[in-house]
Formats: sequence, structure tokens, C-alpha cells
Amino acid sequence: MSAVYLDHAATTPVRPEVVEAMEPFATANFGNPSSLHRWGQAAAAALEDARAEIATALGAKASEVHFVRGGTESDNLAILGSCRALARPGVVPTVALSAIEHSAVLEAGRHLEKGGEARLVVLPVSLEGQILSGPLESALSASPSLVSVMWVNNETGMVLPVSEVTTAAAAHGATVHSDASQAIGKVPVHLGKVPVHLLTATGHKISGPKGMGILFVRRGTKIRPLIHGGGQERGMRPGTQDVAGAVGLATAIRLAVSEQEEEAARLGGLRDVFEHGLLRELPDVRINASPAPRAPHVSSIGVPGLSDGDALLMALDLGGVAVSGGSACMSGAGHGSHVIAALYGDDDPMANVRFSFGHTTRESDIDLAIAVTAGVVRRLRGEGMYRA
Amino acid sequence: MSRVLVAMSGGVDSSVAAALLVDAGHDVVGVTMKTFCYSDTSGHGKTCCGLDGISDAKRVAAALGILHYVFDVEEDFTRDVIDDFVSEYARGRTPNPCVRCNSNTKFPDLLARGKALECDRIATGHYVRVEHTETGSFLSRGTDTSKDQSYFLWGLPPSILPQLLFPLGELNKPEVRSRARALELATADKPESQEICFVPSGDYRDLLKRRLGPIHPALEAGPLVRRDGRIVGEHSGFAGFTVGQRKGLGGGFSEPMFVLEIRPDTREVVVGTQEETFLDRVVVADLNWLTDAPAPESSVRVQLRYRSPAVEATVTAAGGRLTLQLAEPQAAVTPGQSAVVFDGDRVLGGGRIESAGSLAPTSGVPSPPSA
Repeated sequence: MSAVYLDHAATTPVRPEVVEAMEPFATANFGNPSSLHRWGQAAAAALEDARAEIATALGAKASEVHFVRGGTESDNLAILGSCRALARPGVVPTVALSAIEHSAVLEAGRHLEKGGEARLVVLPVSLEGQILSGPLESALSASPSLVSVMWVNNETGMVLPVSEVTTAAAAHGATVHSDASQAIGKVPVHLGKVPVHLLTATGHKISGPKGMGILFVRRGTKIRPLIHGGGQERGMRPGTQDVAGAVGLATAIRLAVSEQEEEAARLGGLRDVFEHGLLRELPDVRINASPAPRAPHVSSIGVPGLSDGDALLMALDLGGVAVSGGSACMSGAGHGSHVIAALYGDDDPMANVRFSFGHTTRESDIDLAIAVTAGVVRRLRGEGMYRA
Repeated sequence: MSRVLVAMSGGVDSSVAAALLVDAGHDVVGVTMKTFCYSDTSGHGKTCCGLDGISDAKRVAAALGILHYVFDVEEDFTRDVIDDFVSEYARGRTPNPCVRCNSNTKFPDLLARGKALECDRIATGHYVRVEHTETGSFLSRGTDTSKDQSYFLWGLPPSILPQLLFPLGELNKPEVRSRARALELATADKPESQEICFVPSGDYRDLLKRRLGPIHPALEAGPLVRRDGRIVGEHSGFAGFTVGQRKGLGGGFSEPMFVLEIRPDTREVVVGTQEETFLDRVVVADLNWLTDAPAPESSVRVQLRYRSPAVEATVTAAGGRLTLQLAEPQAAVTPGQSAVVFDGDRVLGGGRIESAGSLAPTSGVPSPPSA
């Protein structure tokens, strides 16, 4: 049966240009960039070219880009590493996280709190995408502090006010981290314009390789490594570097950033077609986070009257539409999304489905998704799969 | 062709059941039920139960070319199965959690989710048969009597029967294994699971202590008594005993002692000789019938524990409870266990054993055997 993949916020197919760029570094140029000899030299050059390419695309300095194994590791290094660097004898730093951060950030923060290493503050986010200034200011005034606010929320596409938070934080000397995993290539991300101290990006959300990410660390920002070894990545992330992965990541970031404006317009158009079409078929669905600014590739839909969000996802899959619940990382875990709970309350009665669009999405995919979703929702409602 | 939802535990039986359905040309969807978290029992992190089972089931499903999903039934399972298990032991009874799970959690959930997924048939890897006839659908023992699992399925809602498929009903275990090997299924040589799935250590008393708290009458010391009231020793908590048990009663008796009865109100564990464990009258409650209920005075066969043969019995009273007079006294008829009523190989229904005794004028309290 034919099926459409509308789960690009979970992961994406690797672009042919990326595969092509990586291939030589998996085969002929396989050297360890730390080696002295010609194989090592070729690998080191490619690694540094990749670092420079990423720095250029994001408005950073090459020395500020550290290769790590994916977004979760980058988030953990940012939160744990910078909090620990802020701690002084007798002083427990404050770590303030938006309520809709990825679990890689929230759980890292909870880990610090549990171990007595930080005072954790969860910052409420309004439906309009605002971080309330009261809680933010009070967290910032507790020095030293670290704030983490994601650039684009992975479950709803909501764009958060990273620039405003950074400005507010600057007045207090707080460190600011932003997870931009869902932002690169979808909205403008320029580190010269938004002076965050730490930024997370990952390859596989933008048609790059999985398990390949970066942590940007602005010069002068205090941070400690989490693992220890041979001193690679300026000691920030020891371990032999994955040169092919770094080259693939750099290619993916370069393409995503250079195509951002055009691709965002195309994806936003597809999203609007999808949302208008779905609302025509099912007028009572809710477009999650619609009052807020949103990135163009995510459409999170709340469906009223269905008791079982998992069954809806399974039925959509059997119908040929591959999507996620609130967040793919939670599918199968069967627990509600903390993002939907933060935005709509713990007792939000809707079954939530995330449709997300990407490089390979075409308008015909959208038409199929609307038809299948409307059919499945009507059938489940007709069968009385209502919340009791 | 109809779509079939097959429950895949990640074991070899349900793997082969799924493979047979695919072979037969059905549109098959696999599911694994996530029933509980080991975090509750072991204290390590959030490692979830059945995660190995889930990944094995996913590997098998992929090899068979079918889609596979996980149904999270943890909340229902905890309420309907684990809580019941604990409260039964706290009442001095010995529960059958698998029966409870099939009746209250597994099959009802498969049916409900199956409907959402447009599956009009539900299949499992149980060694039982179901015959779909003009006059209705009937559940029977599996052909392999050593593996037959009909004892665990008497509690199914009868309305489910027409939708069930049991592809292993006419196979034996060696056939299932060789089939799995021929298909090179990842689960072909997986060992049998013997323990209760939520008591992986095999010692259910740890679970009781955790869930009842350290101070509970079922876990406190109490007297070991003979039928005539003589105190002959002490036990460390009646929840650690089951009727017919010999272990854990201490020594010093002139002949081996067995548990005859547990009296939660007085915390007494009544012990006696092996001969005294034989009783011939059984009261069964929480009845469920897959066919018409047997009439009073009718002859039936009843199975009183898993892997024991069905024995002849006469229905002496029917209605809300069933009273059975056994043709021959049986050892260790245990309150809380299932009494499953058969007509030949066909399962008529069953219930939970409420009490057992011998032909005697008083009801409720068993009298000594008349032998």
C-alpha cells in the first residue's frame, strides 16, 4: 500500500548531496583526524572545513563549533556542563527552562535538581508563545543562572522569543542556551544577530546524518565537559571524531540555511493547504499553538471527542499516513505530552497528532493526508470511540 | 480478506501464530501489550517490562512484513490484575492473574483497539481451539494436552468468541518450534516463560510487602492449627501460603503436614495430613459462561487447577454461585483458583473457587473428610 511520510520533525531522509559528500570519508579518506600522517591530515582538514562551513552558515566562529553525537548529547552538555561551570562553593546555580523544552533539556535540568546541583525553575509559556516576564526576571535575578529556551518547539512548531530572553538575560549576566534542532532551515538562525551563549543543532532533522550534532559555545562562555579522554573538540567532547558525519552535517546545515527562505515559504504554503483542508473536513479540530508564531513545517492538531490518541495514530498509519503523537520520542510510551499539558492544561481532552513536512513533501501528500485523516477520525467517532 | 489483529508477546508461540496467519493470506497487524514497568519491582530506572518482549515482537513482525504496535495497558493491568492479585492473597486466597488478565484486560483491549484498527478478527498464540459453527462459537482445549491453555480463558466475554482465531490450537509445541526455526524467527529458541510476568523473581511475597506495606495482617506471624483447634506451630504470614503447600510449615510433625485452609480473620493457617487435603464439595463464584450455564443436577467435568485433569462432578446448585459435588475427592482445592467447567473438550465457562469442603451439614467451614 502507498504511504506518505509526514513525520519530518521526527527525522528526515538524508539528501543525496549529503550522502555524496560523506562517502569519501567512509572509504578512501578514512583517517583519524588526530593522526600525524597524510591520512590523518586529510581527515583533519575535512573536519575543520566542515566546522568552518557550519560556523559560516550560522554566523559563528569555527572555534565555537563543537561536534557532538546528536541533539540530546548537545543539550545535556549545554545544561549540565554550563551549570557545573557556574557553581561555586556554597552557591547553587539557578537553571530556568521553558516548560515546553525537549526532554533532553528538561531531564538534564531535573537531574541537576535531584543531585542538589541546581535550583530548577520551569518557565510557563503562553499560547501566544511568550515567556512570562515575571517568572523569567525572578529566575534571572538569582545569580548565577542558566536559561534554556528552545528556538522552535518540536511538538507544535511554536517559535519562542529567544532574542528577547537573551536581551533580558544579558542584564543579569545569565548564560543562555537554545535548542535550535527544529529551527535550522525553517526560520532564520544567526548567532551574530541573536547572542545566545550556547546553541544546539542536529543533523537528522535537516536531511543530514543521525547521531551528528553540534554544540555552539560562544567564546568566553564557561562550560565543563561531561566526558573525559583524548582532548578532541578542545576537550569539550573527547573521542575520535566522525569525519564523514561532520562533513554530512556541514553539508546539510549549509543547504538548509541557504535554502531556508524559499523552503520555509514552500512548507508554510503546504501547511496552510493542509490546515485549511483539514478544517474544511473536520471543523472542530484545534490547530495547536496557532495564536503563536510558528515554524512552517509542523502542524499539530488536537482532535476533540476521541478517547485514544494512540489508536488514532495507529489507524492513520494503517491508512497510509505516518505521523506522530505529541512527540515521536514519546510514541509507545503512552503518556501524554508535557508540551500539550503546558499549553492546554493537564486535562486537555483532545487526541493530539503532529503532522510535519519536509524536503520530500509534495502537495499530493497533503491531499492524501487530509482525506485519510478525515476518514479515520469520522470512522472512530462513528464507532463511539469517545471519551467516556 | 479480513484484517486480523494478533497479540505478540515476543515469545515463540505468538510469533508462529502471526506467521501462520500471514501464510494463510490474512491482512495481519501485530500488537504487544505493555502491561507494567519493572521500575515498580526492581527500583532500577525506568526500564520497562516487556521491553525485550516488545523488541522481539517488532523483529518478528518486520521479518513477517507486517506492521506492529504497542498497546499501553499499564494502568488497566495494574488495577485489574496486580491490585486483584494482591488483595486476593491478602484475603488468604491464591489468585490466577493470567485468567484475570485475559478476562479483564487483554481480550477486551484487543477487541476495542482492534475495532479502531478495522480488525474484525483477534488472534493469540494460546494452545486452544475455537470452532465457529452455525449455532455459535465454542472454545475447546488445544490438541496438545500438555500445552492446553483453556484453563486461562474461561472468563472471556462470550460475545468475543465469534471474532477469535487461535492458529496454534491443533499444533504441539515441537511443531511450533520447528516452524519458527524453519522461518528463522528471532524467537525460535526462546525459553518458555514460567513465572508470573509481573513477579520476575518468582517470589510474589516481595510484591505483597511492597504493595500492602510492612504492617499488614496477611504478612504478620500467626498460629498453625490442626482441624481440632490445637496450635501446633507458628507461621510468618498467611499470605506466604497456599492450600496444599507443604514447604515452610516447620518440622517436628510425626507425618508430613499440608496447608488445608487459610483463615484471614484469625490469621490461622490450618494444617493437616495429606489425606485431610482431599475434599469433594466446591463452591464457585464470579461465574462466566461461554455457552448456556449447566442445569442443576447435570453432570459436568471440572478442572480445578492448571495442568490437572478435569474430574467428574454433579451440579448441586446453580445461579449466582455454582456448587459442585465431585465424584472423587480432590487434593488441595484452593480458594481463588479457577474452576473451569467442561463438556468433553469444550469449555462451558467457569468461576473462582470460593470455598471447598466435604458433604457436611454446615456450609462455609469445611468438615474433616469422612474417611
